[in-house]
Amino acid sequence: MSDHHKETFITKYIFSIDHKMIAKQFLITGMLMGIVGMLMSVLFRLQLSNPGESFAVLEWFFGEKWAPEGILDPNMYLSLVTMHGTILVFWVLTAGLSGTFANFLIPLQIGARDMASGFINMLSYWFFFAATIVLLISLFVETGPASAGWTVYPPLSALPEAIPGSGLGQDLWLIAMTLFIVSSLLGGLNYIVTILNLRTKGMSMSRLPLTIWAIFITAIIGVLSFPVLLSCSLLLVFDRSFGTSFYLSDIIIGGEALHHTGGSPILFEHLFWFLGHPEVYIILLPALGIVSEVMSVNSRKPIFGYKAMVGALIAIAFLSFIVWGHHMFITGMDPFLGSVFTFTTLLIAIPSAVKVFNYLATLWKASIRFTPAMLFTIGFVSTFITGGLTGLILGDSALDINVHDTYFVVGHFHIVMGLSAIYGMFAGVYHWFPKMYGRMMNKTLGYLHFWVTFICAYGVFFPMHFLGLAGLPRRYYTNSHFPMFDGLTDINEVITFFAIIGGLVQLIFVFNFFYSIFKGSKSTQNPWKSNTLEWTAPIERMHGNWPGEIPTVHRWPYDYSKPGAERDFIPQTEPLKEGETEH
Amino acid sequence: MTNILIFFIAFLVIVTFIQILRVRELMANVEKRDVNEVTKKDNRNQSLLLGIVGFLFLAACVWQYLAWGDLILPKASSQHGEIIDELMIFTMSLIVVTFFILHLLLFWFGYKYRKGEGNEVAYYYPHNNKLEIIWTIAPTIVLTAVILYGLNVWNQVTGPPDEEATVIEIYSKQFSWTARYAGDDNQLGDADFRLVAGKNELGVVSNTTKEYLISEYLPTKISQIEQDINNSRKFSEKKRLTENLKKLKEQKERIINYFADNPKSSEKLLSAEDDIVTNTVHLVVDKPVLLKFRSQDVIHSAYLPHFRVQMNCVPGMTTQFAFTPTQTTKEMKEQEGDDFEYVLLCNKICGVAHYNMQMKFIVETQEEYDTWIASQKTLSEKLLTKN
Amino acid sequence: MESKLKNNTSKQLLWIGMIGITMFFAGLTSAVIVRSADHGWERLNNIPQWFWYSTFAIVLSSLFLIIAKKQVRQGISPTPYIFLTLILGLLFSYFQIMGWGQLVNDGIFLTGEKSHPAGSFLYVITLAHLIHVLGGLISLLVTTIKSAQVKYTKENYLGIELTSIYWHFLDILWVYLFVFLLYSL
Repeated sequence: MSDHHKETFITKYIFSIDHKMIAKQFLITGMLMGIVGMLMSVLFRLQLSNPGESFAVLEWFFGEKWAPEGILDPNMYLSLVTMHGTILVFWVLTAGLSGTFANFLIPLQIGARDMASGFINMLSYWFFFAATIVLLISLFVETGPASAGWTVYPPLSALPEAIPGSGLGQDLWLIAMTLFIVSSLLGGLNYIVTILNLRTKGMSMSRLPLTIWAIFITAIIGVLSFPVLLSCSLLLVFDRSFGTSFYLSDIIIGGEALHHTGGSPILFEHLFWFLGHPEVYIILLPALGIVSEVMSVNSRKPIFGYKAMVGALIAIAFLSFIVWGHHMFITGMDPFLGSVFTFTTLLIAIPSAVKVFNYLATLWKASIRFTPAMLFTIGFVSTFITGGLTGLILGDSALDINVHDTYFVVGHFHIVMGLSAIYGMFAGVYHWFPKMYGRMMNKTLGYLHFWVTFICAYGVFFPMHFLGLAGLPRRYYTNSHFPMFDGLTDINEVITFFAIIGGLVQLIFVFNFFYSIFKGSKSTQNPWKSNTLEWTAPIERMHGNWPGEIPTVHRWPYDYSKPGAERDFIPQTEPLKEGETEH
Repeated sequence: MTNILIFFIAFLVIVTFIQILRVRELMANVEKRDVNEVTKKDNRNQSLLLGIVGFLFLAACVWQYLAWGDLILPKASSQHGEIIDELMIFTMSLIVVTFFILHLLLFWFGYKYRKGEGNEVAYYYPHNNKLEIIWTIAPTIVLTAVILYGLNVWNQVTGPPDEEATVIEIYSKQFSWTARYAGDDNQLGDADFRLVAGKNELGVVSNTTKEYLISEYLPTKISQIEQDINNSRKFSEKKRLTENLKKLKEQKERIINYFADNPKSSEKLLSAEDDIVTNTVHLVVDKPVLLKFRSQDVIHSAYLPHFRVQMNCVPGMTTQFAFTPTQTTKEMKEQEGDDFEYVLLCNKICGVAHYNMQMKFIVETQEEYDTWIASQKTLSEKLLTKN
Repeated sequence: MESKLKNNTSKQLLWIGMIGITMFFAGLTSAVIVRSADHGWERLNNIPQWFWYSTFAIVLSSLFLIIAKKQVRQGISPTPYIFLTLILGLLFSYFQIMGWGQLVNDGIFLTGEKSHPAGSFLYVITLAHLIHVLGGLISLLVTTIKSAQVKYTKENYLGIELTSIYWHFLDILWVYLFVFLLYSL
């Protein structure tokens, strides 16, 4: 692949087929969307904890129409909640996380020149870009962006008369999601085929870094589950725009009885959550993979239980397909079905627990080097423990009755996704930045970023468990209409306080990232003294990754501090010594 | 003006930041080290911070419970709610203990095993099958217990309702709740969304509602509009009124067709005659009740947190939940304060006023309830009174 | 990338894409199963004759495509047979559209007051399949043209292989959907 045509600005930076450039495109688009999504949450939290108070900043952002006198309009509140969820779940944590690290790491870590099809890879990014544009446009339409929640349940999402955001805003949301799903699928195809076919000599599946295993399994989950969201949305589009009755039945809206009969909103929920649940594992698994790698390198110790870790990933992936009903315990489904889903959901705790124990075992008797990436890795383990444990309550159908759709759920999923998975993403960026840009991110800013984020993030989401146990529902514009919630204002104010600071401190990360691209201290070829293949490629990034032959692999990636070795790490490319056994 | 000032200050802050970073880099260059290399001092400081912040974090969790623990819902006011609460306490205790142990290990290992004096080389320990098996089997056993206990409670909660349970329909729409009692026969009449009009807000199907809609309500509205059309001078208004007239006539046709196409037995029709529609729900303490849920427009969710009851209200289907209240409102007022009320909330995003859909529930003695229900008019009575 | 590897990866990319498409239809057919088990389901009991004709057309078209592949392996120009496949594919599409017309005549509508979920599912599922067939038709057209330009050799006929795999997939998918629709609608 070294016979590249002469590069223009367009083919190098815009319509690139080089996996490293595509990865950066995903990363930067994801980061920018992340800023938009986070901003939304800080703004709507202002409304939530100080209802009725006027905030000039709200009117500045939303104008007279949606924040008259500086007070957020309730429809816009619901739009913000919806778009915040959509942007963070799909744009940041799926495309931003998978898109970046799968694209960047797969060829480099398996020893390939590029992905199986650079063209399909490029298409994958540009579909994502188109989806982004459509979604951003939907923020400015007159009736407002989609506002039926990121879960877009019909009939609310199907009827513009039920809520204004379900008009053009929802149409654009559906178009954006369709483009997004195509992008994800195109990406996933490449990841799977590349890992299966383009590994370098000696790179057997059992010598793959855990990051690649995680990404591989994630891609498989994606191919199997995203298309179902497509069929789900297709039927919704028909109901909305063509008057079919797949999801709609017996409805009176705006004073008129609609003609729909025979439809079932619960059908939508089944189809949606069939993707929706595997989706959260599509988000989590790459983070688990990244963390395994970063932890091992910075502990100077093999990740404990490689085979068990792979097995746990597979078990989680498999189980993730049979638990979706736990989002629907109180829909009136047959109680027996509820029992089945409780059973399968609680089972997922087992491979998850095994992973946590293995992480702890990796840290035991390690020799830990505290890079910012390592700190985020430890933060990941902490939040995965916290968030995972509250999942036991939510997965138990009888307990879910009283906490479903309350702040208990909001706390749970933010801690596992908004904290755990994002920490994994941060760890990945800090760790592989030298490989991406040939420079180091500033370490002091990294430390500052971690500690303030860690404290503020828990400050935002841990109190939510109490709000949920007090019966506070989610997606409420204000809590001031129910006297039973009057005692909760203090907690809400604490949460908003931490949210504002936590949100602002992310700017340090953004600043650090962009500053370091241009002015970061230059990196050596293998700054972290890591074993994996990507660090054997020259620091000056080039098409085809390695000049000349691709290195051959002789061992697994986790020979850190192996007894009898000269250094505390042995790169995968080093042949076995006389008498040395491979792990 | 303020905006410009804000941007300018933000710009200055960023520039200051950059300069500080550049100075540090230059200083590091002078000392011939990489400003971003992780030093021994860094390892010590960060691991120390991990230990300290970790400990403070766990302390903060305890503090939150002490400060806010009494804000969570009081003891359940229903029979099934009590066993749910027991399950919750069991599971929570399990989780909290695990949370503390695992976090202590995490922070302790992070602190103790920092690279530094005496800990330069890690221990090469790639796997231990026995350990893996132990810590796969242990959680499996614990989770089996949790699952079995949980399913047992779930079966009790979702078991078939008591045959004597009082049947009450809870009807949800944007943005209010209405209740319909089944009357003395404890049989709810049928209802259909096509019959929702005028005072028949719930679309109840009965001979009285048929009379009311076809012979009274709709004809009155139709003739009123016909009068308005005659009196109207403006073309656009005439057009709009004619549209409305057409819709009303179609509605009348639809209702007539409904009764023709859906013949109901006379018992079914009769069962609706004594149904009582109210805006608050009164329940008798210690008497089982079966709530049936319907929705007029979008998915709502009937959430009665004090009773540990929650059930989606889905347009196009009827869902239900059975429970027995165990504490009267008066008793709760004594415990929780005088402004306590049982309340029904909406707990599924349903539109702009989702945050303000509520209905009061009152649990009282049999005598108080009898007095109250006797003072309520049935739907048929309401429809037959001309006003 | 050397040609054998490229062949393999291209085919694998196609296979995984087809798995994705299968899951899309699995979603739709599951929707039918879930919905039909619920209250108020009315069976159609009426699948127009046209859909039988179209089934015949697409199965026959696959046979022609198999012959075409045999021919190119023997060094004979497969253009006539690929072209025949394309024609039959177009015929399939025509029969599908006629089928929809028949449904409307029989009073089974996609939408509106007189529609029922069963009818709507029939339209949507056949429409979704037809859209994927469109991709197959384009692929057949390109292959026909390239074959006429003698771009395929006995050793390298990757384009024909990929088109074949996708077209046979559409065929088998249609047969599965058709049988499913017969039994559940």
